[in-house]
Amino acid sequence: MSELINENISIEKTSLFDFHNKNNAKIVPFGGYYLPINYSSGIISEHNHTRLKASVFDVSHMGQIEINGPFVMEALEKIFPISFSKLAPGKIKYTQLLNHEGKIIDDLMIHKTRDENSVWLVVNAACKHKDINHLRENLNKKFNINLRNDLSLIALQGPKSEKILADLIPEIKGMEFMSSSWFRYKNYEILISRCGYTGEDGFEISIPNKNVVTFTEKILKNNDVKLAGLGARDSLRLEAGLCLYGHDIDIEKNPIEAGLKWSICKDRLDKQDFIGGQVIADEYKKGPQKNLLGFLPKGRAPAREGTLIYDASNKLIGEVTSGGFSPSLGVPISMGYIISSFSNEKEVFLDVRGKKIPADIIKLPFVPHNYFKRKK
Amino acid sequence: MTDIFYTKDHEWIKVNGDEGVVGITSYASEQLGDIVFVELPEKGNSFDQGKDVAVIESVKAASEIYSPASGEIYETNSSLEEKPEIINEDPLEKGWLYKIIIKNKDELKNLMSEEEYKKLIGV
Repeated sequence: MSELINENISIEKTSLFDFHNKNNAKIVPFGGYYLPINYSSGIISEHNHTRLKASVFDVSHMGQIEINGPFVMEALEKIFPISFSKLAPGKIKYTQLLNHEGKIIDDLMIHKTRDENSVWLVVNAACKHKDINHLRENLNKKFNINLRNDLSLIALQGPKSEKILADLIPEIKGMEFMSSSWFRYKNYEILISRCGYTGEDGFEISIPNKNVVTFTEKILKNNDVKLAGLGARDSLRLEAGLCLYGHDIDIEKNPIEAGLKWSICKDRLDKQDFIGGQVIADEYKKGPQKNLLGFLPKGRAPAREGTLIYDASNKLIGEVTSGGFSPSLGVPISMGYIISSFSNEKEVFLDVRGKKIPADIIKLPFVPHNYFKRKK
Repeated sequence: MTDIFYTKDHEWIKVNGDEGVVGITSYASEQLGDIVFVELPEKGNSFDQGKDVAVIESVKAASEIYSPASGEIYETNSSLEEKPEIINEDPLEKGWLYKIIIKNKDELKNLMSEEEYKKLIGV
């Protein structure tokens, strides 16, 4: 039960650090930041509250990057496998930053803003500096890449999120899922994005560092909202079958085997004119060697990251990349890669401390997504 | 008369004659958070002091439990199989893990008293 902290890595605090401590958070280092793993009610209770009502998460560790310059979308289409022309202004798209081998440098959200000379990215904390370097290497110097350290990021997630946020900013009502917009609140501007990483409806809110504590406290005045930490965020995203960078996806994996081909625009795939495009198109055509799938182990023992996966004849066929306990289902759940030719097996075996635990293969997600759909 | 001893890894053992009952401390259960699975040793198996004997899994991670004393397991807490959260609710009583016939009571000198343990965790 000891926690190893590498003294050589400087760990930063978010603007909500003192606020977390005041709210009895258990703080851990994550992605270069001190963040709450949970508050006093614990991970399961925070998880369940998010699915039932709504929770606020501090996700200020994530990198918010603004890229400005004329024809920025055209330039970024040479890097990302998406089509800005197919997106309405204000829409958000989930995508990946790929290298020339089609492997994943990072996964991120990209916003087509209402300003045609500006694009907004939200990237993983531990990847932000390598992402910026990769973008600088592949973009003309005339583009201005700005890491917005002046902004914090909080996520309000859960089915009651819209009602709660609309009490403060009524204009957000009816915002489309995967869209974003700037709003004026009091005397400052905030960027509100209807998205998240829990499988629930919700919003990510970019807000000036100096205003974030007051704004968070204001949201928490509503009795339907509670604080939730990284622990609940991880169990929520795992139930939703969403990949976590550094675990389910990394620089060794491509988006096709990770089940992310839905995020790649078909016309870009045909043209193969983005970084890694040829490899990805090839992989798409011939099918991946391995597939990311969900596993439901029998019994109660969680099969965690690194657990080896065997077939019925004891042949090693894969490995778990994320695994734990599902508070919503009350059973252990895992996701991981197995060799594609075994994807249709009825049952596989997970080696947990030397015991081979039978597990059903399921298509992700474990818990259906509950995203906002506008009534027609 | 029952004596209680603690390990630096936050296990406790309640000793009555040659028999011991083993569990984890309140401090440990709070640190672990929500417990979702316990892998208990087999009855009849023997373990040496300090050897890993059981695994407690919280939502976050798996943690090894090290036996506070050498000896043979004669009973395990089967109610934890269906309700591992009992450890969070009552780590010192209903959340016990296993019972052991203590092989060598001299080994108990390697453990901490309640007072020493409280100092360790800073209460």
